[in-house]
Amino acid sequence: MSALTSTLQRVYGLWWIVLPPIVGSAVMAMIIGALVVAPREIIEGDVQRLLYIHFPSILAAYGAFGVVFVASLVVLWKRDLRWDAVARGAATVGVLFTGLTLATGALWGKPIWGVYWTWDARLTSTLVLFLIYAAYLLARSMADELDEQAARFAAVFAVLGALDIPLVMFSVTWWRTLHPQPIIMRGLERPAMPAEMLAVLLIAFLGIGALALWLGVLRTEAEWLAKRTATLRAKIDRHQGA
Amino acid sequence: MTTARIEAPILQTLALTKRYGGLDVVRQVAIALPAGSRTALVGANGAGKTTLLAMLSTLVTPSEGDATIVGHSLKARPAALRRAIGVLAHAPMLYEEMTPLENLGFFARLYGVAQPEPRIEELLRAVGVWNRRHEATSVLSRGYHQRLALARALLHRPAILLADEPETGLDPEGVEMLDELALRAPGLTVLAATHRVDRVEAWATGVVRLEHGRVVEDTASIAVARQGAPA
Amino acid sequence: MNEAIGPSMAVVMKDLRLAWRDRAGWASAGAFATIAVLVYSFAFDLATGDIRPLLPGVLWTTFLFAGIFAGGQSFARESEEGTFDALLLSPVSPTMVYLGKAAANIIAMLVIEFLQLGLATILFDTNLVSLELLVIVFLGTVGSVSLTTLLSTMSASMRGRAMLLPVMALPLLVPLLIGAVRATGASLNLEVGAAPWTLLLAVAALWSAALSVLLFPIAVER
Repeated sequence: MSALTSTLQRVYGLWWIVLPPIVGSAVMAMIIGALVVAPREIIEGDVQRLLYIHFPSILAAYGAFGVVFVASLVVLWKRDLRWDAVARGAATVGVLFTGLTLATGALWGKPIWGVYWTWDARLTSTLVLFLIYAAYLLARSMADELDEQAARFAAVFAVLGALDIPLVMFSVTWWRTLHPQPIIMRGLERPAMPAEMLAVLLIAFLGIGALALWLGVLRTEAEWLAKRTATLRAKIDRHQGA
Repeated sequence: MTTARIEAPILQTLALTKRYGGLDVVRQVAIALPAGSRTALVGANGAGKTTLLAMLSTLVTPSEGDATIVGHSLKARPAALRRAIGVLAHAPMLYEEMTPLENLGFFARLYGVAQPEPRIEELLRAVGVWNRRHEATSVLSRGYHQRLALARALLHRPAILLADEPETGLDPEGVEMLDELALRAPGLTVLAATHRVDRVEAWATGVVRLEHGRVVEDTASIAVARQGAPA
Repeated sequence: MNEAIGPSMAVVMKDLRLAWRDRAGWASAGAFATIAVLVYSFAFDLATGDIRPLLPGVLWTTFLFAGIFAGGQSFARESEEGTFDALLLSPVSPTMVYLGKAAANIIAMLVIEFLQLGLATILFDTNLVSLELLVIVFLGTVGSVSLTTLLSTMSASMRGRAMLLPVMALPLLVPLLIGAVRATGASLNLEVGAAPWTLLLAVAALWSAALSVLLFPIAVER
């Protein structure tokens, strides 16, 4: 246990050295790949290139929300505020990438579907996901960093939110697909992807994944520093006999 | 220092600690109060008195350490432990829209007090609120709130009273009543945080002083036989 | 048996008594719901000839908002006066406290909702008093109020609680809202698609009630 912890800490200690070059090169490779290497999609045209951000983003967001769920359980179980920082950091990243998914989807939807937004099942559940975790961040920011009770409340809300996701997906699927739809969605049943596209998509997974990890680590670190600052301030107040 | 009487403490804390962020608000507190003792908990604002009382009353979970009260561990938060303590907190903890009678009636049901009516009447008379038992609590003065809060804390005949500034809002007559019913009541163990150092002499059998969360003076605790030590 | 249920009943009776004493609070929730139904009725009357298809949505958005506001304010007082600590101090388990508070809120909310159903029956010229609809309203209320009772407990100590509560509650209640609106539509013979909406509503209500019961003791632990 402690050996594993210390190994993890040693690895984590390198984050500032290891992550930036990886993230930088992966994101650059993704951009070049998406804009230059990948062929122009015949039917959709250049707007299809948004897919290379769109699809990896939502996966990164799901990964981040998974981290929020686990970290929140640890907050409730261990009462360790470091995990509160992890949960907040991951939730910020998740909301960011869900937003990116929605935005790229809307940009793609306008030329392809003719509308920026439609109440399709997948769009709706992604939007609800965005709202749940935005509410989480909002609620957590209403109390100060060291407020253990607020951290617990936010963690309970995060657990509720995570367990709500399957129900949301299930219900919007019934809501939309079992209902006559004005707009016929072409969906993902496109023909098998050319190899170049698939390769670029793989690179994009790497780029977005590394970027999400980097941002999550930075955000967590910032949250944790804010907590330590607040603690130090409280200690100074105590020494000054306030 | 005299050898302690062979006596089990009714309230004992072991390295009780509460940490908020990185700050120990209560740090490694170890006290052992004998049954029937009356302890004044003193110290400056922010010394950890209220947090210590909140932990002992099961409202706040300790970061480290534990306490046993009438033989029950704090960590398990057993109902039996909560039944044994009465709490007189900063807030009167009364429903403003209900009458004194209804307030006590409600709490009697929560605590499962047997034959609540005579007990409630006895307490309301003792704290001097009987004549106003049918008025809304919200119209009563601060002093009456505190009297009523005392009645609520004693309603279920607790073995230990945990009080935070019990004199707050009371007139001299009210303070006299407080001493009689609670602070100097025979058989009742008391742990009360107080600023009224001038009054400590009048009721306390011992003093625990906190400074920055730590015990710096303790004339209340008894020596407790250590685990495994020969008798 | 009585031993276990007694304290919960005491909390229910106490909360209902407070709700009655402080009628202004719940009456304002009722007034809010009434105004909402009226305003919807005005607004949509201009936009469309047949407002009946909009009725389920009108009713449920109104019910959800009224429930959130009323639940939030009923708990805010408990927290401000410190009496919630008194409940936690008592030998009663937090779960029993929660069940009592949720039950009282559900009962008070059902009263408001049935009044709104009566009002909407007149305004929208549609009979809304049927056994099927009463079951749907009951399920939807149990589901939404059990969750908002938990959330209002948690947000009571936070700044900006009044705004925060709907922002937290509504995204979580999307499945319940879908189920309730569609089931209500089905009971009014509107075109709503073929899914078993009442079942979805029941599942969503069970989900929020069960999770709220489980999480409440964890949420109130400090």
